[in-house]
Amino acid sequence: MTQTLREHAEQQFAEELAALARADSHARPPNWRLSPHAVVDYLLGTTLDDGFVVSPKYIGSGRLMEIAVATLATDRALLLYGVPGTAKSWVSEHLAAAISGDSTLLVQGSAGIAEEALRYGWNYAELLAHGPSHKALVASPVMRAMEEGRLARVEELTRIPADVQDTLITILSEKALPIPELNDEVQAIGGFNLIATANNRDRGVNELSSALKRRFNTVVLPTPASEDEEVEIVRYRVEALGRALQLPAEPPALEAIRRVVTIFRELREGATQDGRNKLKSPSGTLSTAEAISVITSGMALAGHFGSGSLDDADIASGLLGAVVKDPVQDAIVWREYLETVVRERDGWKGLYGACREIS
Amino acid sequence: MSDARVHLFGIRHHGPGCARSLGAALAELAPDCLLIEGPAEGEALLELVDDPALVPPVALLVYAEAQVQDAVFYPFARFSPEWVALRYGRGAGIPIRLFDLPQCHQLALAAEARKEAEAQAEESDGEGTDSEPEAPHAEPDGDPLDWLARAAGYSDGERWWDHQIEQRRDHTDLFHAIHDAMHALRDELPPRGTAAQQHREALREAWMRRQLRAALKEGFERIAVVCGAWHLSALSQLPSAKGDDALLKGLPKVKASAAWVPWSHARLASGGGYGAGVESPGWYDHLWQHADDGAGLVARWLGRAARLLRKEGLDASSAGVIESVRLADALAALRGRPLPGLAELDDALGSVLCFGDPTRLALIRRRLLLADRLGEVPESAPQAPLLRDLSAEQRRLRLKPSADERELTLDLRKPTDLERSILLRRLSLIGIAWGSGGQRGDGRGTFKEVWQLAWQPEFAVELIAASRYGNTVAEAADARARQRIDESLHLGEIAGKLQRLLHADLPEALDYALRRLAERSAVSHDLDQLMATLPPLVETQRYGDVRGTDAGRIETLLHGLAERICIGLPAACYSLDDTAAEAMVQQIDTTAHAFGQWADTERLADWQQALRQLLDQSGLHRLVAGRTTRLLLDANALDPEAAARHLSHALSPANPPLEAGQWLEGFLRGSGLLLLHDDTLWQLVDRWVRGIGDDHFTELLPLLRRVFAAFTPAERRQMGERVVAGGPSASVVMGQNEVGFEREAAEAVADTVARLLGIGG
Repeated sequence: MTQTLREHAEQQFAEELAALARADSHARPPNWRLSPHAVVDYLLGTTLDDGFVVSPKYIGSGRLMEIAVATLATDRALLLYGVPGTAKSWVSEHLAAAISGDSTLLVQGSAGIAEEALRYGWNYAELLAHGPSHKALVASPVMRAMEEGRLARVEELTRIPADVQDTLITILSEKALPIPELNDEVQAIGGFNLIATANNRDRGVNELSSALKRRFNTVVLPTPASEDEEVEIVRYRVEALGRALQLPAEPPALEAIRRVVTIFRELREGATQDGRNKLKSPSGTLSTAEAISVITSGMALAGHFGSGSLDDADIASGLLGAVVKDPVQDAIVWREYLETVVRERDGWKGLYGACREIS
Repeated sequence: MSDARVHLFGIRHHGPGCARSLGAALAELAPDCLLIEGPAEGEALLELVDDPALVPPVALLVYAEAQVQDAVFYPFARFSPEWVALRYGRGAGIPIRLFDLPQCHQLALAAEARKEAEAQAEESDGEGTDSEPEAPHAEPDGDPLDWLARAAGYSDGERWWDHQIEQRRDHTDLFHAIHDAMHALRDELPPRGTAAQQHREALREAWMRRQLRAALKEGFERIAVVCGAWHLSALSQLPSAKGDDALLKGLPKVKASAAWVPWSHARLASGGGYGAGVESPGWYDHLWQHADDGAGLVARWLGRAARLLRKEGLDASSAGVIESVRLADALAALRGRPLPGLAELDDALGSVLCFGDPTRLALIRRRLLLADRLGEVPESAPQAPLLRDLSAEQRRLRLKPSADERELTLDLRKPTDLERSILLRRLSLIGIAWGSGGQRGDGRGTFKEVWQLAWQPEFAVELIAASRYGNTVAEAADARARQRIDESLHLGEIAGKLQRLLHADLPEALDYALRRLAERSAVSHDLDQLMATLPPLVETQRYGDVRGTDAGRIETLLHGLAERICIGLPAACYSLDDTAAEAMVQQIDTTAHAFGQWADTERLADWQQALRQLLDQSGLHRLVAGRTTRLLLDANALDPEAAARHLSHALSPANPPLEAGQWLEGFLRGSGLLLLHDDTLWQLVDRWVRGIGDDHFTELLPLLRRVFAAFTPAERRQMGERVVAGGPSASVVMGQNEVGFEREAAEAVADTVARLLGIGG
């Protein structure tokens, strides 16, 4: 049996979605698989009346998830905004999975994207042979979502050139996509909506035009509010990933995770947690997602080459790669952090030694 | 309930939902007697509740007559349940009793407690404890509702109450439920607060029970009791009167009075230090006003937010408002609320109109939540005469108090504006800082004043306190000013007040001040005080005509003062030590400035004569001597040669270098331009510096450095350049030193020397 490396949310959590649908007694908007209530429950995790446990997908402010779901229910488009690694795409995928049962209607934004990717393209063989016709039309994910009443997702909206972005204006305000070549249009049916993600950290992004901005409700996803919350996120994701990737190492101790999270938080905020020392911040964002990948790569190292359980040396290599993004500036930042903070901390001797060895 | 005749209504102060339910419940019950938690002193004022000119938010102010600062406020907003009950009671024409422990006792108790605390503080030699008069409804140690909220899974008591009580549309049995909940809380929770606070609470509840018994005895059939929910269980059972009587025996008492005063939303907010405050009075007010409007409630609120955003210059379209209303509704549905609450509205605002940007929301949030407004009190209300006079003046001058800070620009050439300025200044003399600023707009003449106005409800207390000075603003300001003049120890202090009196148009107080000044200066031998008096007097005299005040008296006074200063100056400068000399130099400086401004050439000549006399005085402190020389030189009262002679004399080698340095400090203080432009002086100083031996130089260095450090960087740079250039530069060539100068011979070596020194080319 061949196994896909990573399943879509609706495949991975099919059981949970089915259980929620069974227990769901609230009204559902047209073409929604679940009621808004159940979608929020799916995202935040809950225990159903029959004892079925729905795992949390987003750990953090439930308020934000409520705003996001309510936005989609009002047929306004949703813009998830924030620094990289704050689970924007993750939330977007799960929203699409829970609401439409399908998270695959996805357009990846990039600088080289053309209008066709958001509207429709042509099957040129067909076009040349028979002229413009519905048969020759190649629908974009957005167009398909409109026809089928599902959620379309646009990743990295701000990386799309401004003129291409503006294609979305008609789609979002008229809920229709004109096809002038056929003197026809596609009108969205109930259940269609769009979730876009954008990050505010990338340089050289295309600001959203205010016309487009007004068509979105914006939800800013913050970095985790507290250390405990972040540790919880990392622990939960590492376990899930470890299972999915079949990492041979045993799940890491909470202590190891806490250490990585502490390092990330301190460097991100530019101060030690007790607030006594000011620190330089490296150029990278040091998101929670990167903390997760430091732990999982450490687990892979431990499992394949190490003792089988995550130790300091396994973490150290991942840490160096995550923190030092600019070989000159960040190396100095990391070195200073090692010498002034890591070295002095009780019980961090091993980590300090391991980091010194490779840096 | 122990007695079917008693109907208890537990409320939270300032809850619109509660108020609404209470109104409906009262209408249903149709009580024949109403007991409301409030001070008995206010009962006489209740008929004003019918007056349409009494506009909430207002507060019932109760103060001890002997100690007006001991005052408590019972605020009422139009969404306060107590207000609704009062309105109902007045409308139905039934007796209303305010049955809280009267403030005549509470204030006395508070005063006693404070005295005790002070005594203790003295004993323990610790810092005095601040014992401000407590807000009447202050609940000690956090909100007991937090316990209920936590049990129900809410973050805090306010939110719980808001969702469970305020947003409830169906009020049947609401008060029974509140009663049961609070009963359970009181049973379970340990007593709160300090022992003194507990005692006070016990007294209050005993008093309330006593009043309730009295009402029952009078034979009322349906008694409605409206009080804080916390007190419910203390009132639901009526034990025998004996215990309460024993508790209430021998309560201390002071004489207390009550008045209605305007209040503001800002003071209702919990952030303002008011114990029973609510987080967002603006929202509650909105809720109260538009609750029946259904969808309009939300739309109006968000529309207001959009207008505030626009006022800040940010885009906020109607389309945006429509979308935020929809989002707020969807959120409320999702969260299972009948109507969007503040949380949903905030979320919708942030997400739609503010594009997720928290700073945009923060810009308007305070104004949105506070919606600050100031209440009004009718003229017919019994008020201290001073207050009434003030409100009459405010009406006459169209200067309405408002809680929002606003700027007021006055043109003193217009009679109304002049009177406004006078009113503000009089109030500030009484100690009421309604307006701050009031400096003349700079550079545009002296007829423009800019004020920042913000009315604080507490001013009412201060006005009552100030009533002992007089019954009108003018009288009170006059009397208070005289009192301050009498309290002043220093002549300069009195003189410093003259201008304020002049501007506040208090001719009698001004006259009084001048007379006092004349009397005291006549017998004063303290030149220091006389000299401190002169500058403000000159200032006053100069502006006297702008204000249309007769400055003749000032003129006479000034003449006297000037003469005495000129005569006294030399004597006052005998045997000064370094510190005294420094002070004297400063005095002489300001006095000289004042003489300069005073356009009286005769006196100016006298003053300069006095200074010259000072110069000849032997043993005069070097600093003073240097300064005097400079002042005379600057005023063209001493020719440059004479100044050079004095300088040369002071810097002659026979003088100890330290003394010479001090002379130089006095001479050069303020500006070094003189040195740059007068080559004679430059040469003298230069020669003197070169002549100082190494030992002395080290000793002198700090002093010289201090002198030169005060010059502007440009002056220092020029001096430095001049020194580098080898002393005499361009100006020397043109100066009087040209005699005996062999230009040709000098030019022959100049190039070589310049090259040796590495300058020029």
